[in-house]
Amino acid sequence: MANDNTTNRKSILVTPELCIGCRACQVACKSWNQLPAIKTKNNGTYQNPPDLAAAAFNIIRYSEVPSQENPVRWLFVSQRCMHCDDAGCMNICPTPGAIYRTAEGAVATDASKCIGCKLCVQACPFNVPRYGEDGKMSKCHLCFDRIANGMSPACTKTCPTGALQFGDRAELIAAAKKDGYGTIYGEQDLGGLGSVYAFKDEPKLYGMKENPQIPASVVFWHTYLKPLSAIGLGGVVAAAAIHYLAIGPHKDDKEV
Amino acid sequence: MAEMIRKSSVAEVINHWILAGSCMLLMLSGFAFLFHLEPVGSVFGGFESMKNVHNWLGVVFCISLLISMVHYLKDAFEYDADDVQWFKVAGGYLSHKVKVPPMGKYNPGQKLYYLAIVGAGIAIALSGFGIWLMKDNSTVMLLSHLVHNIAFLIFVLAVPVHIYLGTLANPGTFQIMVNGMMPLADARKKHPKWIKAIGRM
Ligand code: HEM
Ligand code: SF4
Ligand code: SF4
Ligand code: SF4
Repeated sequence: MANDNTTNRKSILVTPELCIGCRACQVACKSWNQLPAIKTKNNGTYQNPPDLAAAAFNIIRYSEVPSQENPVRWLFVSQRCMHCDDAGCMNICPTPGAIYRTAEGAVATDASKCIGCKLCVQACPFNVPRYGEDGKMSKCHLCFDRIANGMSPACTKTCPTGALQFGDRAELIAAAKKDGYGTIYGEQDLGGLGSVYAFKDEPKLYGMKENPQIPASVVFWHTYLKPLSAIGLGGVVAAAAIHYLAIGPHKDDKEV
Repeated sequence: MAEMIRKSSVAEVINHWILAGSCMLLMLSGFAFLFHLEPVGSVFGGFESMKNVHNWLGVVFCISLLISMVHYLKDAFEYDADDVQWFKVAGGYLSHKVKVPPMGKYNPGQKLYYLAIVGAGIAIALSGFGIWLMKDNSTVMLLSHLVHNIAFLIFVLAVPVHIYLGTLANPGTFQIMVNGMMPLADARKKHPKWIKAIGRM
């Protein structure tokens, strides 16, 4: 696979501790991808829009947690597609080219190919794919168009604090570990995520999903059922041919 | 010319072709979805229109399956001692030397095949409608996706065997699906109990 961890797979490293919640990344993403604004209501949090959307490929999740020094700790964490190595969305998609892997390891999308069946979100461990008015799937594509041309993604380029960094996956992870981040979220999950997170705290504190997995039925289908349907077809056709040659067609009693 | 007898009504023959035709196209497009077969997609005018064709052919298949139940379901539930014996000699398919017990209109292999198609057909139709129409219900989608593919496997294994037995393995049988007729002399040998029941022995 083009994206195995030994080649130079590109990644976004998110360091939530460095994030100041300015949401420049959200704006940069909208700007580069020409996504419209979404009308939302103030519901008592800075988190806006409240969730990923067809026109919001990345959001900052804001959460308040208890803390020893201050009354509360206000946490910011950037959320987007994880660009999984073993990507459930790609496994299940029935349409060639609608979701594809780029040379840099991004899980990119092509809305013109998507048939709008909405199977991909069922297989995504992170509930990432969204669907526009046209029914087509959309999500963060790691700015595949920019990174293929040697640029960094719009969101990481605009981030003023280094909370979002783009680069060689192995190098980013090594550097984060050297800087004292004990937990790299996504280093091993699902074959290694393409969006990795550097934490000093428990990832759970930031609302990161523990032990993300593709639904078991999808894994079963992908590993066994799908190949079995091709093998099964070959098998019965071969069995019929062997029967025809070895035993032969039905004959009437008197010809026996 | 040998005297002929009608084994299948015109309605049965026509409905069988609708069922078989829609099923083959559904299986072909199904394989194309599973294995990203772009040439097949092009034949259907691209994957987007193949999806629409697949979904609406599903409706055709569904209606045709219901009609076929009027034709075959009663027979498919009736078995007797000869049917048990038929299985013991594997219907005569593994050796031409064994004695195959006398059969009615359909042998138990055909009857069980039909029940498998009804069972898998209902499962694939319901799950197909689930994937098609209940896209925003995660439980329905995941379950339907699994059921659709398990039922598909049953079709993949059963349909080619049925086609082989209806053509190459039993010369002359295919004609019944053309005009519903078979030679009376053959029918007396292959389906003695049916011919007796209609008083033409
Ligand atoms: C009432 C009947 C049916 C309906 C409504 C239906 C509908 C669907 C839908 C909605 C999909 C998902 C992909 C897409 O959106 O195009 C699908 C996929 C598929 N269908 Fe059907 N279908 C039906 C019958 C059949 C039959 C009879 C077969 C074969 C014997 C079949 C084989 C497949 C296969 C192999 C796939 C791809 C598997 C996957 O990607 O999950 N379908 N069908
Ligand atoms: S996070 Fe979801 S949408 Fe993104 S690559 Fe993984 S499975 Fe696909
Ligand atoms: S909605 Fe589009 S991208 Fe998602 S699985 Fe279906 S065809 Fe593929
Ligand atoms: S990588 Fe590109 S598409 Fe993804 S969130 Fe950043 S700006 Fe948006």
